[in-house]
Amino acid sequence: MKGANRRSIDRRTLLKLTGAAGATAGLGTIAGCLDDPDADEDDDADELTITLSQFPDTIDPLDHITGDYFDVYDHIYEPLFDFEPGEGIFSRVVDDWEIQEGEGVTELYLRDDVVFHNGDDLTAEDIAWTIERTVDPDMGVVSDIGSFGLGSIEGAEALDDTTVAVEYGAAPGLAEFEFGNYARAINREWAIENHDAENEAISGADAEDFNGTGPYEVVDFTSGEEIVLERFDNYWGDEPPFERVTFNADGESSGRVNSLETEETDLTINILPEDVATVQDADGVEIRRVTSFRNIFCPMKNTVEPFDSQEFRQAMNYAVDNESIVDEILSGYGEARGQPVAPGINGFNDDIEPYEQDLGTAESLVEESGYGDMDIELTVPQGRYLNDAEVGETVADQIDQLDNVNCDANIVDFGVVSDANSAGVDPDTIEIPFYLIGWGTITGDTDYGVQGFFTIPDNEARTFDDEELSDAILESQQIEDPDERREQLEDVNELAHEKAPFLFLHTQESIYGVREDIQWEPREDETVYIWGMDT
Amino acid sequence: MISDRVKSNLKQTFSESLLPKLGLLLLVSIVFMAIFAPVLATHDPTRTGHYSDQGTAYPPLGQDLTTQIAQDGDIVEVTVEPTSEHILGTNNVGQDVYSRFLYGARVSLIVGLLGTSMALAIGVPFGLVAGYYGGRVDDAMMRIADIMLAFPALVLALALIGVFGQTPIQVPDPIVLAGLADGMPESIPIPGMVTLVVALVTWVWFARVARGEALSIRNEEYVKAAKSFGTSDRTILLKHVLPNSLTPIIVLATIQVAVIILLEASLAYLGFSGTTLSWGYEIERGQDYLRTRPWISMLPGIGIVLAVISVNLLGDWFRDALDPNIEGEGR
Amino acid sequence: MTMGKFLIRRLLQGIFVIWGVITIMFGLRAVSPGDPATLMLGEGATQELIEHVREQEGLNEPIYVQYFDYLQGMVVGDFGYSWISNREVEAMVIERIPATVELAVAATVVAIVIAIPLGVISATRRNESADYGATLFSLLGISTPNFWLGLMLILILGVWAGIFPTGRRPVGFAEAVMTLVQHGSLYDLGIWLQYITLPALTLGTYFTALITRLTRSGMVDELGKPYVTASRAKGLPSVLVRYKHVLRNTMIPIITVLGLQMGTLLGGAVITETVFNWPGLGLRLIDALNARDWPLMQGIVVFIAIAFVSINIIVDSLYTYLNPQVREE
Repeated sequence: MKGANRRSIDRRTLLKLTGAAGATAGLGTIAGCLDDPDADEDDDADELTITLSQFPDTIDPLDHITGDYFDVYDHIYEPLFDFEPGEGIFSRVVDDWEIQEGEGVTELYLRDDVVFHNGDDLTAEDIAWTIERTVDPDMGVVSDIGSFGLGSIEGAEALDDTTVAVEYGAAPGLAEFEFGNYARAINREWAIENHDAENEAISGADAEDFNGTGPYEVVDFTSGEEIVLERFDNYWGDEPPFERVTFNADGESSGRVNSLETEETDLTINILPEDVATVQDADGVEIRRVTSFRNIFCPMKNTVEPFDSQEFRQAMNYAVDNESIVDEILSGYGEARGQPVAPGINGFNDDIEPYEQDLGTAESLVEESGYGDMDIELTVPQGRYLNDAEVGETVADQIDQLDNVNCDANIVDFGVVSDANSAGVDPDTIEIPFYLIGWGTITGDTDYGVQGFFTIPDNEARTFDDEELSDAILESQQIEDPDERREQLEDVNELAHEKAPFLFLHTQESIYGVREDIQWEPREDETVYIWGMDT
Repeated sequence: MISDRVKSNLKQTFSESLLPKLGLLLLVSIVFMAIFAPVLATHDPTRTGHYSDQGTAYPPLGQDLTTQIAQDGDIVEVTVEPTSEHILGTNNVGQDVYSRFLYGARVSLIVGLLGTSMALAIGVPFGLVAGYYGGRVDDAMMRIADIMLAFPALVLALALIGVFGQTPIQVPDPIVLAGLADGMPESIPIPGMVTLVVALVTWVWFARVARGEALSIRNEEYVKAAKSFGTSDRTILLKHVLPNSLTPIIVLATIQVAVIILLEASLAYLGFSGTTLSWGYEIERGQDYLRTRPWISMLPGIGIVLAVISVNLLGDWFRDALDPNIEGEGR
Repeated sequence: MTMGKFLIRRLLQGIFVIWGVITIMFGLRAVSPGDPATLMLGEGATQELIEHVREQEGLNEPIYVQYFDYLQGMVVGDFGYSWISNREVEAMVIERIPATVELAVAATVVAIVIAIPLGVISATRRNESADYGATLFSLLGISTPNFWLGLMLILILGVWAGIFPTGRRPVGFAEAVMTLVQHGSLYDLGIWLQYITLPALTLGTYFTALITRLTRSGMVDELGKPYVTASRAKGLPSVLVRYKHVLRNTMIPIITVLGLQMGTLLGGAVITETVFNWPGLGLRLIDALNARDWPLMQGIVVFIAIAFVSINIIVDSLYTYLNPQVREE
């Protein structure tokens, strides 16, 4: 029954709104005969509304790598493992798993009581197929996220109904981190049925088009506006805390805060530091925050001038005052950083301090590099990361304050930066060698934070061309002993600090606005799990 | 050409009403502000980092600002007092709001004037040729104009800038070069692509007006006479048709300056400006701060309104004095 | 020329214009920097996958083959698939039309309701204070960028005064009407009205100003015509003359200009929808543009062009029908 039962405004809100509007005669009189048809329902207790900043407008959970999308999909197409930031992976749909020593294969043993929303049983075949479609473009139902999210995973095969063998080309420790991330279950038959051959994608826009094994199923979907979930009765695990969950999106932080204030939403993500006070001052809602796994930095492609000089790249790092950016632009909601990954990530190096601002050193390093009086431009996305345009503009201005470098900021849409990031290092095609971007090391392992940027073999999209750094990463991928591997990753971070492939900036905090009575702690990996909540 | 009658009409309308005087006064002030921005500004408008000790931007004079920041893991409330260093406060990147207001006038006026000139240069010859030759030539050319009209200007501009990028052209600032101002940016960023795009989406109005004039003039006796003497089409167009079309074109040009200033502001607001020194961009920047620091968005908006009003008042004056019946696009 | 011939000619012209818009969009896409396959796939796509998508999308074909494929699709109403959502572009366009139409109609209603009385008062009390007030208002109206006006309305009426809500709207018109029909409740309609007021004012202000000006100058012209003086001399009450004849004669050019300004209205809707997070076509266009979702962008622009051309043909036909002498031109 579409629409008749949904309500994101409740009576209190209405009274608040019309109460104020009562001053104008017209609305005041209408208010008298207004009657909310849903008023007798007990809406608040068992309903939750979450406002994201981007609406997930596709039914294929393996279509986009965007945090906001996963906040929704995690509940419909649940992850195969429970991943605890900083701790590792735990059983979920996959009950147990066994590493086949020396073969580059891990066998996953599935629960046998998992069913899809359409009633089909989950089989090992479904999972093998889901993994295959991200690594093999000839599958037919190809996944747009490609093999990036699955890192070293090379393929999968169903051995029987509940056993999947996963092959990978790296150390099992690394592969485990990778399982924890994107591995999830899609119903193979359903996907092939929903697969539009001409379009080569799984598409649809009806509630029934979604079909996962998660604790919630979709009951209403309005493209670009809202998606409504209800508890899935045949879910194998614990009953999730809310009967009904609505996701919607608002691109403006102030709009999300407004929805929170007027009680149209219960939880919203990506609150700007500026709006923290508004949320804190409002009744019944509060700010929750956590230092995320997302680092903000500016890659410098070292195949073009002047970034081919290590001195010049280090000079850029010395020119910028990371601490002041965190204190002033982010109002303190972040930590200055001097390496590619955040604290809590496997391989994070505690001994590395951020570059401290030192204009004198920076200027003499620029002199040494032989690139005095250069004009450079920093390309900065807008609206993607915490106060990104402001951070970029400040970085450019601080570099511009060096006597021997001129730097301007060019504020663009994120798409431009995303292109620049995947454009590779061929000097003839590089248009944007210096840009601001953020990277969340969501697997919890340094490899995911450095591999895509720095390794050379089979990696057209790298941003830095350096054999030594590349080899150090490749070496780490083959080390089986976890402690030894961690030490190697710490060395990789140290090497990255020194070679300065990035202008390192900071790790940002995730700031959420939440209804006070919802018990929930935000996670470092930016996911929002409803099953982790309680009222 | 501009006849004595036209001149006396202009004078008469000017002296009769207050509005043209107001428009002229406003426009002169804004032009003055734009030209001498480096002298009038108190800070380099691009310099970031003007923050109070608490690490937050300053409010304008006469206003305290209470806000909350994260400090050593806690959220604490701080109060920031204004400073006479920054009379209108600083924005969220710690830039001086007053200085940016002055510099913003430059981008608006430059894009408005350059954009209109380019639109004139494309549209007028196009329209004159279409109207003068008439028939199939006219038909074909006017269908092209129709295509341009079927795109809402903003949509076409967005598509074009999306494709061609928006990097500004840096032009040395003569006031700073002349040594009149210290510590100000040495070059003015001119959003060249934006200027070209606004011209590309507005030229068609000039074409329509020029065509209409050419259509009505081509059957006049003196044009027929010139033709019969074997005068070339080119000469007739330049010597007879163009001068007689000038009046409505001037009126339209004035209105189009206003339209283009608004268009540039809209593009900048949507993030397509090429420079952060634009009033429209500043409004967008302040949008996230509307509740807490409304002045960031408020001031540049007032700037746009004043600039557009001044140009519109002049346009009205010209129209009333010259009384051509023309239509132009709003925005 | 007969009405039929006139219509056929205008239709052919319209088709030509739409073809032109389609072609320009194709051209823009062809020359736009960045490999479409990379654009589609975004961050982190492998080379292998990019090549696969190039093949799948026909991007390896010669450009003229791509053009004819594209044109052929447009003719049969196949606009392709959105890169953001993988859904059919037609569906994504159609589902957003109601919100934009609601907004455009509401803005036009606001404009007419305010502007015509204001213009009449202004014209009949020339050079009195009411006239100056109306003139000043319309001057401000055409000189204020609507996105800024929208923000100021949000700030003043939404945040400070608390009269109107400022978040995303929770309910559309169709759904509100459904509530009325199913439950006999005006609740949702009330909510809808509260949410549409500020966007409609924002989008409508420019037109209010424009129509005020047109009404005023039209009335002033008409009032000076001999028939008005003659009717007055005959002793007809001046109020009757004013409203019955003068206003009717003034309306014709106003309707024409309104029709011509539909493009402006749609352009204005793009930016108004962005300011208010209003789920219409304009907001979707901006989303498509930011994601560089070309098929969706093309679909929306071509749809807007078709709407614009159709409205113009209707307005022209009406105008021609009302003023037969125009047909002779």
